Amino acid sequence: MVGVPFGLPLDGVRALELGGYVSAPYCGRLLADYGADVIKIEPPGAGDEARRMGPFAGDDPHPEKSIPFLYLNTNKRGVTLDVETVAGGGLLDRLLESADVLVENYPPDARPPCLEPENLAERYPHLIVTSITPFGQTGPYRDFAATDIVTTAISGLMYHSGDSDQEPLRNTLNQSFYVAGINAAVSTSAALFQRMFTGQGQTIDVSTVECLASHLVQALPYYNYMGAIKGRRPVRGSGFEELMPARDGYVIPSVQGSQPWSTVAELIGVPELQDERFASGSGRIEFGEEIHDLLLQGLAQWDRKALHQASGERRLVFGMAQDAGDLHECPHLHEREFFRTVSHPVAGEADYPGMGPRLSGVDYQVRRHAPLLGQHNAEIYGDELGCSSAELAQLRALGAI
Amino acid sequence: MTMPERSLPLDGIRVVDLSRVFAMPYCGAYLADLGAEVIKVDTHHNQFVDTTRTLNGPYPDNDPGELYWERGGTFQTLNHGKISVTLDLRSDDALEVLRELVSISDVVLENFTPRVMRRFGLDYPNLKSVRPDLIMVSNTGYGHSGPWTNFGAMATALEPTHGTGAFMGYLDVDADGRTSSGTVPNKIANSYTDFLASWTAQLAVLVSLIHRTKTGQGMWIDLAMYQVGASFLGEGILDYAFNGRRARRLGNRHESMSPHGCYPCQGNDQWAVVAVRDDSDWRAFCDAIGTTNLATDPRFADPVTRHDNQDALDEIISGWTSSRTKYEVMTILQNAGVPAGPVLDGRDMLGDPHFRDRGYFEPVDHHPKTGLGRREYLTRGWRMSGSDVRIRRPAPMLGEDNRHILSDLLGIADARIADLEAAEAIGQTLAGARIPASVPLDRQVELGWTVDYDTVYPSQPPE
Repeated sequence: MVGVPFGLPLDGVRALELGGYVSAPYCGRLLADYGADVIKIEPPGAGDEARRMGPFAGDDPHPEKSIPFLYLNTNKRGVTLDVETVAGGGLLDRLLESADVLVENYPPDARPPCLEPENLAERYPHLIVTSITPFGQTGPYRDFAATDIVTTAISGLMYHSGDSDQEPLRNTLNQSFYVAGINAAVSTSAALFQRMFTGQGQTIDVSTVECLASHLVQALPYYNYMGAIKGRRPVRGSGFEELMPARDGYVIPSVQGSQPWSTVAELIGVPELQDERFASGSGRIEFGEEIHDLLLQGLAQWDRKALHQASGERRLVFGMAQDAGDLHECPHLHEREFFRTVSHPVAGEADYPGMGPRLSGVDYQVRRHAPLLGQHNAEIYGDELGCSSAELAQLRALGAI
Repeated sequence: MTMPERSLPLDGIRVVDLSRVFAMPYCGAYLADLGAEVIKVDTHHNQFVDTTRTLNGPYPDNDPGELYWERGGTFQTLNHGKISVTLDLRSDDALEVLRELVSISDVVLENFTPRVMRRFGLDYPNLKSVRPDLIMVSNTGYGHSGPWTNFGAMATALEPTHGTGAFMGYLDVDADGRTSSGTVPNKIANSYTDFLASWTAQLAVLVSLIHRTKTGQGMWIDLAMYQVGASFLGEGILDYAFNGRRARRLGNRHESMSPHGCYPCQGNDQWAVVAVRDDSDWRAFCDAIGTTNLATDPRFADPVTRHDNQDALDEIISGWTSSRTKYEVMTILQNAGVPAGPVLDGRDMLGDPHFRDRGYFEPVDHHPKTGLGRREYLTRGWRMSGSDVRIRRPAPMLGEDNRHILSDLLGIADARIADLEAAEAIGQTLAGARIPASVPLDRQVELGWTVDYDTVYPSQPPE
């Protein structure tokens, strides 16, 4: 690979991923993007629950066409294994012997006994076992049922999302489980680094609600510093720092970015905004409604992308509401090579969003499409663990793979 | 069991934190919890100080006080565990001190624009010549390449720019009260993108440390918050590539689960969420709420009819929840195995039995001069069995560690330190400071900044 003589940061790290849906797979994907050999272990037959989660490529509900699954599982290899059968448990032991990390997200009360972190720690002292759950491995809510809206609500994040005169509003796209997944990757990497000096593995308890609650750096001190409850965005006000209608969609006008008010007013283009009363923060609070009306007038003359461009050129920091199509067409993301074309034998070819950051020593590639169910059974069980084809046939007959 | 050497993952790692505001300072605080020595490079000149020291609050009892730049709760939350040196980077000598500091450090965090870093000679190629195996995070709105590279950015405006508003919005309601997919974008708020950037930076630093240990090579991390934000919405963006779908705004509803929503409960701005995943949840839900005939109502007989009749269903559920507290809703439904939970606010969270039981909040003792006493802070979403990761000290006071860093760490002679002081390149009192006006809480309620407030509230952790 050009410019990367030393390989990827997690080259040589092997991680097993068990469970499914979003949080453990996203953690696995991040580790795989940084070079780890991630083996995704799915139950034979049905596979990962995310395979049944829409939307689907071509809106065809097929287990190899789930878009979340396709996105979350690139750069991994995949095997099927029923870890609760005797034969399956034996294979898992053999995989664990060569593994550095196990990431799993079974509910605590449904986790197979062979995956209990304490048992694993005793048998594989070098292993890092990362368990991701909605509420963590302890505490009164440990065994509560949860979906994304429940974790978002209990994390405190949802209370602050949406408008103050309506109910709190969730985001779609499973955000709580993505945030849990990256926090799991952070703590797992910290443990991997520590292990380079100690040789010791450890167990990690990741709680989805706590990962999201860590975003509340304003709402919590609001209460224990001054007894106040911070809520959703006020519906009254000048309209700055809020989504406001422009000619072809929504924009966020902003006074931030260290430029004088006159620059902001000039960009919006309504002469009445060039008023000393509006130049200070307190003035914009006092005369909020007046500004709001002038802002609506000015923004109605602008298209989103033109305004965003003009703002950037004036060192202002306006934003705009972009949809998935806008992002695909974005020249900035294209120049930064964010999208990567991935070809999948069942779902077909598409441009996938890639890695968030760019690292000087990391040549990010989609080395593999999301694995087909059991795609690497022969490669991993046969070529790498040395199972004969007769053994593999027997494991298949027993329902272990 | 005795802990082997390196009892914390980042013992012996030194971080120079040049960053401001939310995303990267918070990354630095987490690295400190993991054991790194994190040096916050502050300035005592008001126009260049980290604005979370001066603009964010909240202040104890809404009183900024004389030393307000040491007293902001958000600043404290974002900067715990660090030590502070003040260096005015307009001074060549201070810049030289900074380069000396980088030469004995492992990691640099910064979020200046590309232009500023080049002007100060603090871009990666320059700092790499000082410290060849340096790991450096450069966090910007749009990254160090591409047509928008010089655009400034704030997380609040970036959030819809990287796509969240396409996947978040209230339902549209027509004149007859019928709902349909939303056409107006909304926001997660709370500077959502800042936190995505913070987690991303932490991960990038840790894998870079692993890489450096194996290869001896440093790393430069070009972290564009716009791009990072988009990567978290990958499944929605990929839907466009496959199906041409640009947006999905469902209010609090879900593609396949119903009922699925946020319902009013007893009290001011109190809410609970409910998610019925399948028929078995539905039967349990009907039993639990005990509303007559709900289970046999043909409008709600299966997932498809429930999905088609959500407006009616939501009205029935709101009727049931509105005479109960949000915690009662949680308890009744969770006892029946149905996903449900209260929408917690800041007060609820600090008192919530689950967060308490797990020790999510950690107490910090502050310097007597700040008047903050002992307060609790939110921590992190994970526990490591083999590492005592926790908050070790409060956010540093401005220049609190000047002497230690300049003299002990860098071995700078007293005469040179005196010169730096005389030139106002270092200092411990904010110069040009004006005590910020505090907006009374009843006025904040009027403006909609806060929902409510308690005049008596537990500021100190429970014993």
